[in-house]
Amino acid sequence: MSVSKMRMQLNRRMYFILGVCVILLFLLILRTGYLQIVSGHELSKQASEQQTRDRIVNSKRGTILDRNGKQLAVSVPVETVTVAPTQINANADKVAIEMVATGLSQILGLEYQFVYDKLTKPQAYEILKRKIEKDEADKVREFIVANKVLGVNLDADTKRVYPYGSLASHVIGFTGLDNQGLEGVESVFDKNLKGSPGRIVSAKTAAGTDMPFKYEKFVDPKDGLNVVLTIDETIQRFVEKHLETALIENKLLNGAACIVLDPKTGEILAMSTKPDYDLNNPFYVESEDIRKQIELLPADQRTAKKEEELRKIWRNKAVVDSYEPGSTFKIFTSAMALEENVVKLNDTFYCGGSVRVANHNIRCWKSGGHGHQNFVEGVQNSCNPVFIEIGSRVGTEKFRGYFEGFGFTQKTGIELPGEAPGIFHNKAVFNEVELATSSFGQSFQITPLQMISAIGAVANDGKLMRPHLVKQLTDVNGNIVTEYGSEFVRQVISKETSETLCSILETVVSEGTGSGAYIKGFRLAGKTGTSEKLPRGNGKYIASFAALAPADDPQVVCLVILDEPSAGLYYGGQIASPVVRSIMDDTLNYLGIEPAYTPEEKATLESAVPNVAGKAVADAKNIIKNSNLKVVVEGGGEKVLSQMPKGGVKVNQQSTITLYTEAKTAPTMTVVPNALQMSVVDASKAVSQANLNVKIIGAGSSPAGGGLVSYKQTPLAGTSVEIGTVVTVEFRRIDAGE
Amino acid sequence: MKKGQIDFQFFIIVMALLAIGLIMVFSSSSEAARHDFGDAFHFIKKQLLWAVISFIAMMTLSKIDYHKFSKFAFPILVFAGFLLVLVLIIGQELNGGKRWINLGFSTFQPSEVAKIAIIIFFSNSLAKNPKILDKFLTGLMPYLAILGAFAALLMKEPHLSGTVVIVAIGGVILFAAGAKIPHLALLGVPTAAAGALLVMTSEYRMKRVTAFLDPFADKMDGGWQIIQSLYAIGSGSVFGVGLGRSRQKFLYIPEPHNDFIFSILCEELGFVGALIVILLFAALIWRGIRIAMKAPDRFGSLMAVGITTLVAVQVIINIAVVTSSMPVTGMPLPFFSYGGTALFAVMCCMGIMLNISRQSKA
Ligand SMILES: [Zn+2]
Repeated sequence: MSVSKMRMQLNRRMYFILGVCVILLFLLILRTGYLQIVSGHELSKQASEQQTRDRIVNSKRGTILDRNGKQLAVSVPVETVTVAPTQINANADKVAIEMVATGLSQILGLEYQFVYDKLTKPQAYEILKRKIEKDEADKVREFIVANKVLGVNLDADTKRVYPYGSLASHVIGFTGLDNQGLEGVESVFDKNLKGSPGRIVSAKTAAGTDMPFKYEKFVDPKDGLNVVLTIDETIQRFVEKHLETALIENKLLNGAACIVLDPKTGEILAMSTKPDYDLNNPFYVESEDIRKQIELLPADQRTAKKEEELRKIWRNKAVVDSYEPGSTFKIFTSAMALEENVVKLNDTFYCGGSVRVANHNIRCWKSGGHGHQNFVEGVQNSCNPVFIEIGSRVGTEKFRGYFEGFGFTQKTGIELPGEAPGIFHNKAVFNEVELATSSFGQSFQITPLQMISAIGAVANDGKLMRPHLVKQLTDVNGNIVTEYGSEFVRQVISKETSETLCSILETVVSEGTGSGAYIKGFRLAGKTGTSEKLPRGNGKYIASFAALAPADDPQVVCLVILDEPSAGLYYGGQIASPVVRSIMDDTLNYLGIEPAYTPEEKATLESAVPNVAGKAVADAKNIIKNSNLKVVVEGGGEKVLSQMPKGGVKVNQQSTITLYTEAKTAPTMTVVPNALQMSVVDASKAVSQANLNVKIIGAGSSPAGGGLVSYKQTPLAGTSVEIGTVVTVEFRRIDAGE
Repeated sequence: MKKGQIDFQFFIIVMALLAIGLIMVFSSSSEAARHDFGDAFHFIKKQLLWAVISFIAMMTLSKIDYHKFSKFAFPILVFAGFLLVLVLIIGQELNGGKRWINLGFSTFQPSEVAKIAIIIFFSNSLAKNPKILDKFLTGLMPYLAILGAFAALLMKEPHLSGTVVIVAIGGVILFAAGAKIPHLALLGVPTAAAGALLVMTSEYRMKRVTAFLDPFADKMDGGWQIIQSLYAIGSGSVFGVGLGRSRQKFLYIPEPHNDFIFSILCEELGFVGALIVILLFAALIWRGIRIAMKAPDRFGSLMAVGITTLVAVQVIINIAVVTSSMPVTGMPLPFFSYGGTALFAVMCCMGIMLNISRQSKA
């Protein structure tokens, strides 16, 4: 090959090399252009997803307050430990990650393997432990700083705290892990309470630090609103105390419920279901028996069983469970008959123990019958044939109309989840017999809430108000955002009928089956109720009592329902009325309602013992006598050194005060006698004979009050006490008092 | 020596690439430098110093008659071979390979010396024996043996990108010098087979290939770098996010000033910037081949082809890697990637090119 030929070959091959290079570079230009222009959008989106951290800033959940501003549910700051596995793995080797896992598992009390798996999961964000308290969080912080750990973070979070524990648990409800409302007001007002969370979008380096560019977007969190309830914490506490006692004393197998309502506004002042649960630990089954039952189940059934049991515990009986009201419903049959003018107060009726309605024999609760009685006596006796008669006088159509009018066929619209509508006869099958049983409160079901709002209408001049639990929504600064006023639904009966009915119901308490609820000075009106649960014949009863007070200007209405008592007594007049009495006594006093005593009551009124210690014996005697009390002087001294009972104690009028005049005189002791299972007279006698003073609770205006028997005394019989000590004796009916 | 003008266009292209390269080293390395050394200027200070030294070396070499290298062709080859053995013994272990020799004031890769040695030795030898390649066993084989030995030593480090460059340079010089096409084809098939075997027998290399085929399948492992590179390139779009405003350089791309510097360039300067840089490289290759064609003799031509190939292979493979057009090989981008000795080596080569251009035929 010649030199020139070789040169030509060299040049040819160099052109070829150049050509190959140019083609390859051209392809790479196409490739780059494709990535940047065609795929650019998608790739840059993915890139910015990885470069930015979108942090949710939780808004502060609003507080739930009672009507006087007491905090029932508050959110307190806690912290949540989160990890950024990608960041951890970018900054640490296996040994370092193992060290971090060991440290964190020890501080947080978690399984090592659990922590290690979280740290090495190919994720950008994992939650390690939620809602830890400050001291635990501080330990984590120290660990992070001491070991220069990257990718373990403490995020601000909040935890719901219920300062009153189980108080009003079924009303307030509780929240879940994400602070979402799960039950009660927490659930119904979740939207208002939670506010809207904010966001921080910021650019981050792969190591997790901020990029220097302005690449941040803030959306401020909006704090939730406070919910102010109509509930009064104090009244709620009274209710729960007495309901809890009733739950235990009567061994209620299916719990108890109580609602206290302001009839003028429809505001619910207290609502309780027993047994209740601790709002700070709502997923814990308190009953040891049930916990054991769950333990014994096969593993795969435990969760379902526990959930079922929790649902039962969380169930708000007062709103969700409908029941057969029994005789308390006679209030409404009376209301209809009076409003329709088909009965006069002195109309006479005869009860022979049963009555025949369309070939059905319907019995009165009193097997011997009540004999001749006028309408008022019929109500006092809660006599079934009387109500069957006036029910039929009202007629099916009108009866239905009033039934609807009182709101028994619709949900009240209370701000609570799961309200039941009640069950009533279809129009087509509502005939003579159904009317008869309905007249005395059987063969249909209503909720306790429907019952109390209807009683509210009777108490409120016949005006039905919508019962409600939430008074207002306020913002962080306490300014009212939304006000939920009282809502008038309809005029069901006239003012006159309402007044007449209230005074009849007052006699039920003062003279009839409701005498167990009698409170001196407060004109309590009410109606007992006892219904046998379906299927009949199982001996399972619901005892109830509905009351309003004061009868001439009702301020408060109260309903107590005791489900399946198993301690012997089961009539509403026996076991439910004392509960209402206790609740009403506390509540009316708390509300500052002035007692108005009848002359008979005045005679049996309590007096405060004057303090006469240090005074001359003669002066002391006069002072005490002027207070309608008796006096006994011990010793021969000139001055009173001490007295029993002490000054300020309330005792019945004509109780005896012992004055001690000699220092040496040891207090004369005596043994408390038994005062249980006695009539008022017998119990008083027994106590007085032991040189002790008696305080009677639960007896009607006439101390001889028929059928009342003492069932509780303090101090207990056999206790050694100073003479003159006050022995409190409580009475209730034991005769069948429907 | 005929004293003419250097190829001024070639010089300008080199200076342009060097300038853009330095800017990109600064822009891309600042965050990693701040994170690792607390000094944003940590890398650029060193690189600038090396750029000055390299520039002086280039200008000096442009004045030294390239024919003088003829005498040193064989000693340099032996010296390069010696260094390749030496690095296996005293080399610094870094990222799972022994590729660096520490000189105290700096480290360097013997592969850089080996590349230049192959260029000079092959060009000199083939220029002196123009017809030797007609024969296979006594002609082509000895060259291939040297190339094979160097490649084997480099794979021992292991240094895949160095191996690829050496084989490419040697192959292209042999091709340009007139190696018979059937001979080359005869060799190409076994080489390809050996390459494939090499890849498949190593889990490490296999991973790189699978990661290339579907980088998104294994986001946290082999595909990480590639995905980060694609994110960067894609984010750049047409005009880029602006110089210095790369987000991917914030530790998402590991050592963004090294092999993946082109991705950062794409992100910051967009397709426009990428196009300009690729066209500059294309122009450099074109001027390089032109210098080779106009070289006064066969030695100069082959050397110019070898040097041009040295740059071309690295550019093409580097850009192909960062655009996920081929598996990751760890190829630096000439003039751009951080590394003083590599820059020094390529600038020396540019000096030789300038000298060849100075002596070009009319
Ligand atoms: Zn009767």
